[in-house]
Amino acid sequence: MKLTLVALAVLLVTQTTPPARPNLAGTWRNQYTPNLAEVLGKEPPYTPLGAERWRTVDTAKDPTGFCLPPGPSRAFTSPFPFILMQQGDMISFLFEYQTIWRVVYMDGRSHPKDIADYPDFMGHSIGRWEGETLVVDTVGLNERSWLDTAGHEHSPKLRLTERIRKIENDKLEYTATFDDPVFFTRPWSITRTFTRFDDSKDRIMPYTCTENNRDVEHLKPNQPNLNYKYEPEKP
Amino acid sequence: MSRRLQGFVTLLLCSACAALPAAAHHSFAAQYDRTKSITLKGTVTKLEWMNPHIYFHIDVKDGERVVNWAIEGGAPSMLYRNGWRIDSLKTGDQVTVDGWLAKDGTNLANMRTVTLADGKTVFGASSGGDSK
Repeated sequence: MKLTLVALAVLLVTQTTPPARPNLAGTWRNQYTPNLAEVLGKEPPYTPLGAERWRTVDTAKDPTGFCLPPGPSRAFTSPFPFILMQQGDMISFLFEYQTIWRVVYMDGRSHPKDIADYPDFMGHSIGRWEGETLVVDTVGLNERSWLDTAGHEHSPKLRLTERIRKIENDKLEYTATFDDPVFFTRPWSITRTFTRFDDSKDRIMPYTCTENNRDVEHLKPNQPNLNYKYEPEKP
Repeated sequence: MSRRLQGFVTLLLCSACAALPAAAHHSFAAQYDRTKSITLKGTVTKLEWMNPHIYFHIDVKDGERVVNWAIEGGAPSMLYRNGWRIDSLKTGDQVTVDGWLAKDGTNLANMRTVTLADGKTVFGASSGGDSK
């Protein structure tokens, strides 16, 4: 009888105790990447529409130049640090750049059914663990946000999948996969590294973009960097 | 710009400018012309240590006339992390600024280097250098 009770107790504990998750919390420094094509070594796999938009984008119309939010991939490739908070069923990112945040719901919920009607510059994110890797699924991205400073754009159909895992105590590996059938013929990815930011010697600082955005009155029409090759895919 | 002012302002064509420190706020080339370098010597009249990029202003002598130029630098937090402080540049300091001219033809430049009268440089980070 005693043995049965012990076995039951063990079974109960193993079934109700969630597996230990890696602790990704902390303050992290991005790997600055103003042009995602630099990581690929070429332009992303555009659809004809995507290629045309890239060829004709005016970088004077960069949304962040007008202090609009940067969008998730750009927040993670800016030259400014961010805080990753890991609490209960929620993971949050607090970015110094543009003083903005993201919330990742980890409670098993789905994206809101009407999310396409209410897009956000930072999107709507839900997350899950795949082993030691945090997987963040983001939709509802306002098409006015850009993927990078170079001027790579996207449509409202963009689905962003981000994978974050600890590769060393002071390093996180970040992989972003862009799946947008309007702009790209297939999903494509970039991988970057976040390094731990020394809170004891530094701190998150102000970035209130509208404080003194004198630049905006001096912007002139400008074509994107076309240094990287775009190779149309064969049908 | 008068001939005398040109004595203080040297406009150079720069075909292969070195890679620069970075900013994420917007395209550098939408505001500045990387092919047009400029050197300005003047007196600091004002520092705006504010986001998204710092600005300071200098009076450049043009004979009896004085022309005020605006100079743009990096983001305050980036400058701070590189060791610069709000009092690293003071009103009245004599400076030589090497930078790039604004495309819109106003008296505005983006700094590459800022050198004080004693030869020391301040504000190492430009807001330039991001993708075109």
